[in-house]
Amino acid sequence: MSTGSSSRDRVPRKSGSEGDSESRPRLRIEGLRLRYPGQLAAAIDGVDLAVGSGELVAVAGRNGAGKSSLALAAAGLVPRVVQAAVGGSVWLGGVDALRASAADLAGRVGIVFSIPARQLSGSKPTVREELAFGLENLALPRDEMDARIDRVLERMGIGHLAGRDPFTLSGGEQQRVAVASIVVMEPQTIVLDEPTAQLDPAGAQAVAALLGELAAEERAVLYAEHRSTLLGAADRCLVLDSGRVVAFDAPGQVLSSRILVPLGLEPPTIVVLAEVAGIADRGAFDEAAVAAALAGSRRHRERASAVLGRPRPAVDWEPVRDHPPTAVEIAGLVHRYPGGIEAVRGVTLGIPPGQRVAIVGQNGSGKTTLVKHLNGLLRPDAGEVRIGGASVGGRPVFELARTVGFVFQDPDDQLFNRTVERELRFGPANLRLPAATIDRLVEAALEATGLAPQRLANPYDLGLSERKLVALASVLAMDPAVLVLDEPTTGQDGPGVARIGAIVDAVAAAGRTVVAITHDMEFAAEHFERIVVMRAGEVVLDGSPAEVFAPERAPVLASTGLEPPVAARIGARLGLGTTPTLAALLAALDGAAAGGDRAPVPGRTDATAGSPPPAEATVPGGTTPSAGPFGPPSGRSSPASGPSARDAS
Amino acid sequence: MGSTTGYFRPGDSWLHRRHPVTKLLGLAWILTATFLLPPGVLPLITVGLILLALRCRLGRAVGASLRIPAVLVASILVVNGLVFPGATTVLIGLGPLAVTREGLEFGIVSASRILVAFTASILFLLTTLPDDLLEALVSRGVSHRVAFVVLSAAQMVPRLQTRASTILEAQQSRGLVTTGSAGQRARALVPLVGPLLLGSLIDVRERTLALEARGFGALPRRTAYRLVADPPADRWLRIAFLFGIVGVLVAAVGVGR
Repeated sequence: MSTGSSSRDRVPRKSGSEGDSESRPRLRIEGLRLRYPGQLAAAIDGVDLAVGSGELVAVAGRNGAGKSSLALAAAGLVPRVVQAAVGGSVWLGGVDALRASAADLAGRVGIVFSIPARQLSGSKPTVREELAFGLENLALPRDEMDARIDRVLERMGIGHLAGRDPFTLSGGEQQRVAVASIVVMEPQTIVLDEPTAQLDPAGAQAVAALLGELAAEERAVLYAEHRSTLLGAADRCLVLDSGRVVAFDAPGQVLSSRILVPLGLEPPTIVVLAEVAGIADRGAFDEAAVAAALAGSRRHRERASAVLGRPRPAVDWEPVRDHPPTAVEIAGLVHRYPGGIEAVRGVTLGIPPGQRVAIVGQNGSGKTTLVKHLNGLLRPDAGEVRIGGASVGGRPVFELARTVGFVFQDPDDQLFNRTVERELRFGPANLRLPAATIDRLVEAALEATGLAPQRLANPYDLGLSERKLVALASVLAMDPAVLVLDEPTTGQDGPGVARIGAIVDAVAAAGRTVVAITHDMEFAAEHFERIVVMRAGEVVLDGSPAEVFAPERAPVLASTGLEPPVAARIGARLGLGTTPTLAALLAALDGAAAGGDRAPVPGRTDATAGSPPPAEATVPGGTTPSAGPFGPPSGRSSPASGPSARDAS
Repeated sequence: MGSTTGYFRPGDSWLHRRHPVTKLLGLAWILTATFLLPPGVLPLITVGLILLALRCRLGRAVGASLRIPAVLVASILVVNGLVFPGATTVLIGLGPLAVTREGLEFGIVSASRILVAFTASILFLLTTLPDDLLEALVSRGVSHRVAFVVLSAAQMVPRLQTRASTILEAQQSRGLVTTGSAGQRARALVPLVGPLLLGSLIDVRERTLALEARGFGALPRRTAYRLVADPPADRWLRIAFLFGIVGVLVAAVGVGR
């Protein structure tokens, strides 16, 4: 698998729907019903599905729709490993997976989960031996193990990791190893449950390309996903809601507004644009075709409003605690981990009060290390961090928590109370705030995160995406002057991402500073007024979304394993200049169409044609769009507004 | 110290080069001698272990690890020193309590045995890669499921330590004060232990799924990718340790009479 390939140009292959998949499917599910112990509602309620040799089938739907349960059943883990009452049948080749033993299923099916650290054996000191673990269990001879491991290392582009301890890898690297650990077993059917949740855009593209290659080898591939990159790569896509099949057809058909909007979901941006252009039924995920069709259409904004339906609900955040405007200033920050690895190499950033800053970059680029200095979790080896003008140096983390709220990526690192409401009270109580203030803060955080109906629920009875919201609410309830979020949208469905985006907007509108690490470029473009791009511990781009995602910045962005959001890519294809959000693209399209004879030309990348002036993102050594370190903050740019769309489910 | 390598410290010392089963038998010999023979052997074993640790260049690592049993050792000394049943020789009077010679002697012997056993065990863990131990046990006929449990146990403490430090960071970020009075520290335990236990349970559940997905235990036999070196001299060492264990048992029975 080459990391530079994309789903849009994956390996040509025979589609299962065109071959013999209907007659001899590798995976056949008939009338599947599944209910977990203690649950009244069925997780899966009468699903029929067939996946043929060489076929890619994606599963979309809201969190809790039954995608993971379907994946577990398809992999033969229910009820053998995961207890549940099941009905119907799951056939893997000629084996009844609901009644089969582990030996019956060995080599027939493999499954990849979303959290890589939890799917590694935990016993192997190197990646090479980790890959051998499954082969040992299949009792293969050592020579064959070596041959298979070498093949998969090369294919996945992880040969350089072969001698590394799997638990010292970044999340993205671990996920590639996790996928490789299943691929190396060469199962006939491969099931993946949100395999790109932890991956940066380059990693997600690489997985999409790999899925195409696996299908080209006549394997049946079933995967649950949120990212449009992967959903659009499928031959067919199944949409689930409350355990039932809502639609099962080509991705462009089932990920349309007609199917998704009634379920409370938004179609992927590329599908919205295809619908606006009137080509949703033919090539909805083909960016070139969509761009060409958009060039020939008019009234884009009006059509997009009709496609997206009602606007997203807004979130209000009324400040309760009295904070002065709080700037974040980082000057010449260097951090080295034991062993000498320099994770942050001389970063200087000035973040004015109330600014929303997204920090993006490849897995392992130093993003988390950088933000852990904001509340004293890490101390710099060189340089200085100031919050609200005061140096962080020497101040304990619990004291800095009065000003800086930090939401960790894994909610299970912090949740421990019996109810959601008690969990939310923990932070403000530690700050020794008055009881009435705590009550107000808890109510506001429950309201903002939409968790009020679950206030008495045990956090561990909630799904991962809801637990992440509880973790966010528990920090929001401290009403910090600076809110730091580490990958807040991981594992969230479309409405969940929209909710978090609205919280970011509301908190910043209330004068709080927001710093978030994210791999989601659409989320960054839509909700942050400034984007800082990191590579190998250094800042390589710094500017507004329009500046960072401008066509002329694409090479620098690509060198970090990132790519602009789809709206920016389409805008670049049409020579519309920089259009980081759907709203900006639609406005530019309407503007170009109104210009009449200056209609955009597909494939043209001249940034000056009918577009805003060239963007000026900062590169190291250049000027910053905000205050320099310890200098006065500059003004804010206005956030993107208007209709927006993002990945389905 | 990593999640997969447990306490193992890479090296090429004499002890590092021994086969895991040889070291396991050596450890068994030391443990039986420590707990079954009279306390007079303890200084000898202690000197032997110190020399071994220095020769493996692990003196500092062993020393640092001794803080793990420190609380247990201190409590054994205090409890036995103050409240040893039947003790009559008072060394220091402390109001209603008294430090007695008999209690103190028993406490010192017990604490020494624990320290020696701990030191021998930690030397074994510091010089044995968990995966080598697993393969060595499986090659000696131990079920690979049982061997995996042994391996997981060897990795459990360092894994919990890593996770505990992340949880500590997360709770401090929410304003939890983990310093100060004993009461304050005690109150800080619940937010730390809760996620540690719950997270570990989630971890176990998901790792079980992952192992199943990779065919663990699916077939009655498995092959090994990792080759564990077994130098010829180790065979004689293992025999010597087995004789040593039997000798200790015989001597212990003799002493008991």
